[in-house]
Amino acid sequence: MPEVSQNRQIYSLHEIAQQIQEALSVQFPSAYWIKAELNKLNYYVHSGHCYPELVEKKDGRVIAQMRSVLWRTDYIRVNSQFKQVLNEPLKDGIKILFLANIVFHPEYGLSLRILDIDPGYTLGDLEKEKQETIRKLRAEGIYDQNKKLPFPLLPQRLAIISVESSKGYADFMRIIRAAEEDWNYRFFPMLFPSLLQGDDAVPSMIRQLRQIRKVKHHFDVVAIIRGGGGDIGLSCYNHFQLAKEIAQFPLPVITGIGHATNETVSEMVAFENAITPTKLAEMIIQKYHDFSVPVQGAQEKIVDYSRKMIADEKKKFTAEIRLFRNVSYHLIQRHKTTLRENTRIVARNSQFMFRNERETQQGLVQKLVREVTIYCTNRKHDIARISQGLPRDSQVFLKSKNQELASLESNLNNLKPENVLKRGYSITYLNEHSVTDSSKIKPGDLIHTQLFNGTITSTVHTTSNLSNHE
Amino acid sequence: MNEQISYAEAFEELQEIVSEIEQGEISVDELSIKVKRAAELIKICKTKLTTTEENVNVILKELNESTDGPA
Repeated sequence: MPEVSQNRQIYSLHEIAQQIQEALSVQFPSAYWIKAELNKLNYYVHSGHCYPELVEKKDGRVIAQMRSVLWRTDYIRVNSQFKQVLNEPLKDGIKILFLANIVFHPEYGLSLRILDIDPGYTLGDLEKEKQETIRKLRAEGIYDQNKKLPFPLLPQRLAIISVESSKGYADFMRIIRAAEEDWNYRFFPMLFPSLLQGDDAVPSMIRQLRQIRKVKHHFDVVAIIRGGGGDIGLSCYNHFQLAKEIAQFPLPVITGIGHATNETVSEMVAFENAITPTKLAEMIIQKYHDFSVPVQGAQEKIVDYSRKMIADEKKKFTAEIRLFRNVSYHLIQRHKTTLRENTRIVARNSQFMFRNERETQQGLVQKLVREVTIYCTNRKHDIARISQGLPRDSQVFLKSKNQELASLESNLNNLKPENVLKRGYSITYLNEHSVTDSSKIKPGDLIHTQLFNGTITSTVHTTSNLSNHE
Repeated sequence: MNEQISYAEAFEELQEIVSEIEQGEISVDELSIKVKRAAELIKICKTKLTTTEENVNVILKELNESTDGPA
């Protein structure tokens, strides 16, 4: 009971706490459905109890905050319901709708005792978060970005985000190694170890993706491999930052996360989601087959076609030779026939020509004989005629010639020196030579003068030279 | 085989040669050149399938170098 002193009621702390406790139990007699963000679960392993820290935020600012308690048995029940419905355990950072009593304990103060949590509410909220991630990726225009990358013909160099100890990684590597063994394919897998589920997986995977990005020129694809860990704790793959990192990754990212629940956003934005690690390995090997088979096929085809081509050409060539032989044989035959015929024609024609020529010649000979005969006859007649006229003509001719001679003789007589001398002319001689020029004679020379009758010998007195002679 | 061509180019060129041969677009004169080229391309492709030149240590070294530098 409170003391009274100086008109004042004085309560002990316990008394006031008890009064608050009573008042609250009257004011809040039943349990209430409350929605809040589970900021921290505060699970204590030893006791198995949780002391969740609940908050309500508005525009990023905390506007209400309250402690709560979730006893061990309630926690176990609620947590298993969560795993069933959400594939997620109770964890920090989720929104919850819970049934709670408002309790006040004099010793511990005000808190909410959580009786039950509705997993459906959280599921809806997580789904909302996932949709929000998708919406944001689309809004940034990067949702399809990884899918649009060209996929290498041979995904040979694999940057693997996984855990060495995981079953999924083991399955994947077993298939890859078997392919190396069976087909002589070669791969270069390099592990970038990372957490693969739960909230811590997000920064872990982002960190490894950024590492790979630094050495991306050494790799063809990134493979995110998980498996064997159950389906719990995969909501991290819906995380915006992780999904964004994958969507914007410069190499194709392929996923084999292996779970039965809905596809996560990371799987959606990856270049390809192979669902399980086994399928992922098979997909990669299929790419190798897709490359190898045509190469092998090409080899066989080229050999086959080349052989066939050469055989065809040979056949064609043989046929050509046969054709050529036939054609040339026939050609020769034809020419032979023509030649024979021409020989015959030449022989016949030349005989004919000879005969013609001979006949022409004979005709000419006969004509020649005839002509010669006629000519001779004519000439004989001519001779006869001439010989008849000849004595008479020759007498006439001789007579005229005689007359001519007689006249010539009389002329000649006139020219005789005696006859000239007779007419009074004389010839002067000097030293037996006749003189015709007085200049050849000098006074005192002894000259002889011939007269028609007799000679005179005289000595030269003078000479004169008459030039009227000219 | 001095020219450096990628296996992807080799693969594509090989497919072209096969299709040319299949279509009968290659004469006997060209055949031996084409077949020789195809053999080279097949070799490049098969080598790619059966070998890899990457080295973990080189990559780790590059990672360390890039971590040491300013982030």
